[in-house]
Amino acid sequence: MTKVKVLLAIASVAMAVGLWSALTAPTDTLQGDFTRIINIHAPSMWLAFLAFGLTALGSGMWLLRKQMGWDRLAAASAELGVMFTAIGLFTGMVWGQAVWGRAWDWGDWRLSTTAVMFFVYIGYLALRGATPDPTVRARRSAVLGVIAVIQVPLVYFSVNLFRTLHQTQSIRPDGVTMPREMSIAILINVIAYTILYVALLVARIEVAKIEETRATETALAGDAVKPPRLSEVKDV
Amino acid sequence: MAWSSVTPPISTSGVAELGTEPMAHRRFVLLGIAGVIVLIVGLAVTSLGDNLTYYLYPTEAVAQRADFPDGERFRLAGTVVSGTLMEAEDEVLFDVTDGGATIAVVLTGVPPALLGEEVPVLLEGAWSGGEFDADNVRIAHDENYEVPEEGNYPSG
Repeated sequence: MTKVKVLLAIASVAMAVGLWSALTAPTDTLQGDFTRIINIHAPSMWLAFLAFGLTALGSGMWLLRKQMGWDRLAAASAELGVMFTAIGLFTGMVWGQAVWGRAWDWGDWRLSTTAVMFFVYIGYLALRGATPDPTVRARRSAVLGVIAVIQVPLVYFSVNLFRTLHQTQSIRPDGVTMPREMSIAILINVIAYTILYVALLVARIEVAKIEETRATETALAGDAVKPPRLSEVKDV
Repeated sequence: MAWSSVTPPISTSGVAELGTEPMAHRRFVLLGIAGVIVLIVGLAVTSLGDNLTYYLYPTEAVAQRADFPDGERFRLAGTVVSGTLMEAEDEVLFDVTDGGATIAVVLTGVPPALLGEEVPVLLEGAWSGGEFDADNVRIAHDENYEVPEEGNYPSG
């Protein structure tokens, strides 16, 4: 667990630097200080995309190799993806309420596809929770993990494919539509969030190994049944 | 509840095949998957299906005037034209444009703080003759972030 502690320490420092750069960066003329929310909102969603990508990778590799390590990677990454999506949705709603004047709109494809992606990955975690056998759980969730990743490009490109209230990408191949100081602050936060993701992923995989050891130790039939004490048996 | 009476046996092998799994869990999983599909299809039909277009620009709204009789609600997106913004007692008047057509808007209710000239807006309402009666407005900022010459750095 030492490497997890080292990674978390680096992540803490990086996130402090990220927060400082978010609070000192210049802001947009129209939006003012609300612009700063982008430093949490965008990195969170990008890390969610990355996390669901690694869930798909782990799922695909499990189906090919049948090694439990890939299943652990897929499961741990899905949990973190759900966490980052929750942060992205919440900060987006705060930003939306402040600038748009409305927190949520099901008519907006960026918002609604993100919500569906969030629920599907919660469904992925529920599927794992509802399947007690490790091998069956790994197979079923691997199939879902490979299919569900289709949503990542759908969410990302929803602002280009449909008319949305949500703005399109500001950082894209043909250039960046914001001042340099703003995009550098976002970049610092992306690096910080990536380190945090790696630290939590490594930690969660270690915990999963411990969980599996515990499960095999207690899985003997009859373990749950204890012989009654004589004092409890009254009809003797 | 059929499945609550079933006690799932403890897996001893760790490599149980699909068929050996308790029925209770299979049914639970299938119900869960069916629930998710119903949710997605339901959302698609009720919320997304009827407004694939989501909003019209003024040029389109003028061109499709016949399709939207007075009172027929739709969303209109445009930029507030400079020098047209006027606040009356409980309504705000302004023009919106997309560079092509320009439409006069009567907005009832309290305008959001960020409503101003040259600001992109998304309106909800309906035609009323040559005007657009809006009862809801959202500030539709785009992907461009601009900092004034002097900075916009935090004060103090």
